[in-house]
Amino acid sequence: MTEKHQAAASRLLEAYASGRPCEPVRDLIDGVDDAYSVQNLITERWLSQGRRLTGRKIGLTSAAVQRQFGVDSPDFGALFAEMAVPDGEEIPAGAVLQPRVEAEVVLVLERDLTHERHTVADVIRATAFALPAIEIVGSRIRGWDITLTDTVADNASAGMYVLGNRPVPLRDVDLRMAGMVIERRGEQVSTGIGAACLGHPLHAAVWLADTLSRLGHPLRAGDIVLTGALGPVVPVEPGDVLEARIDGLGDVRTAFAACEAPDLEEEA
Amino acid sequence: MNPHLEPFAEILDEAVLHRRAVPRLTGTAELDVPSAYEVQRMVIERRLARGESLLGVKMGFTSRAKMVQMGVDDVIWGLLTDAMLIESQVDTAGLIHPRIEPEIAFLLERPVRTPADAVAAVGGIAVGYEVLDSRYEGFSFALPDVIADNASASGFGLGPWHTPRNVGNVGMLLEIDGRPVASGSSAAILGDPTRSLIAAARLAAAAGIELQPGWVILAGAATAAVPLPAGAHVRVSAAGLGHAEVMTR
Repeated sequence: MTEKHQAAASRLLEAYASGRPCEPVRDLIDGVDDAYSVQNLITERWLSQGRRLTGRKIGLTSAAVQRQFGVDSPDFGALFAEMAVPDGEEIPAGAVLQPRVEAEVVLVLERDLTHERHTVADVIRATAFALPAIEIVGSRIRGWDITLTDTVADNASAGMYVLGNRPVPLRDVDLRMAGMVIERRGEQVSTGIGAACLGHPLHAAVWLADTLSRLGHPLRAGDIVLTGALGPVVPVEPGDVLEARIDGLGDVRTAFAACEAPDLEEEA
Repeated sequence: MNPHLEPFAEILDEAVLHRRAVPRLTGTAELDVPSAYEVQRMVIERRLARGESLLGVKMGFTSRAKMVQMGVDDVIWGLLTDAMLIESQVDTAGLIHPRIEPEIAFLLERPVRTPADAVAAVGGIAVGYEVLDSRYEGFSFALPDVIADNASASGFGLGPWHTPRNVGNVGMLLEIDGRPVASGSSAAILGDPTRSLIAAARLAAAAGIELQPGWVILAGAATAAVPLPAGAHVRVSAAGLGHAEVMTR
């Protein structure tokens, strides 16, 4: 079994290294717990290379996406400092494989969340402030041909993330009713609302705190939590510039370099 | 007005009165967009002749997805009468196949003479809902059909008026019997409902209609419309604007 997990992790790491998407890994994985084991092998590899874990992302937080994957709970992936991109800075072609964009609420923690079960009050007390963010999701698996086990093993399809720069205390924003829009050249390419993320972004954070605590590596002070998409994910093309606005939190931008890497074009 | 269009107006008006869906007009007749708006006006004239009065304008196809679906690049509009205003109850037995959607509504406090005038003429903003009830079988139509059918307008309701404010990106929620069934952002309305208001002024000016003080402009929906069941409690909410609700029988 562990050999299979190693093989799955190697397949995904090879996709990162080569810049070429790989075949699905579901053939090497038996169930979600095993998929997290594969994800963990990759996380451990990166940590051993000196990368800094900055927090977690939550995925599969919308009712529509959960239906699509046939699941009734979200998933999570690891975030590293190397994945952070400053607001508006251009992302080089190929930096994220098969990139797509979504707008999310980020929570920045100032306390550990170590209980076995947390309440919304625990999460509120542990949160220093919220930020608007763009997550650039990606898939190391060719054509996004993913099942639940594929995406969990592949770090919940995490890619890069762009954080806004103005912190907002939770008391100053109604995250449930906050509107969200992503625009490309002034045209709306995605719209949504805080409630689309498991009913409330804080509910997603409670789920993550409980889950990580049970797994023995709880959320810590200083961690960031990307709580999940507020609307439909947006496919991106080379040269795209996208701006996301979350009502009450502010706005944040991302840009993609105009040219794909040549070897990727050959691949297509 | 083209008298040969009058039979189309009669078909659509009778469909409302007898609660009977009809085949789409474009299935058997040539109808272009200008003629379709003429039919729409004739249908409204029939309602005014029965004692109804104009109360405002509704905008349609204000979302990118809907424009792409219908293959159009501009909004459409319809006219609202006082008889369409729903206070707190609506009887679905009187409707063909009603749907409901959450809307942003503007209340004019001054006449609008030009599109540049429109935003300054607004005295109030509210969350509201629109009940759509296409008179066509299967809610299926081409662009001229839906224009002739007054943009599927059937009824509308309004929450409390608020002083004008930025409603460019407010969260909107549609709940039936307490459960969320659709949600989105007002940004889905042309990027900002204010743009829909300005488009209303442009289309009204082109049609020779002056938007009057006291009129309501329904700017468009933030989500797809959902079927309106009988015996239900429906609530629409928008961040900062409270909510509007309706009971169905």
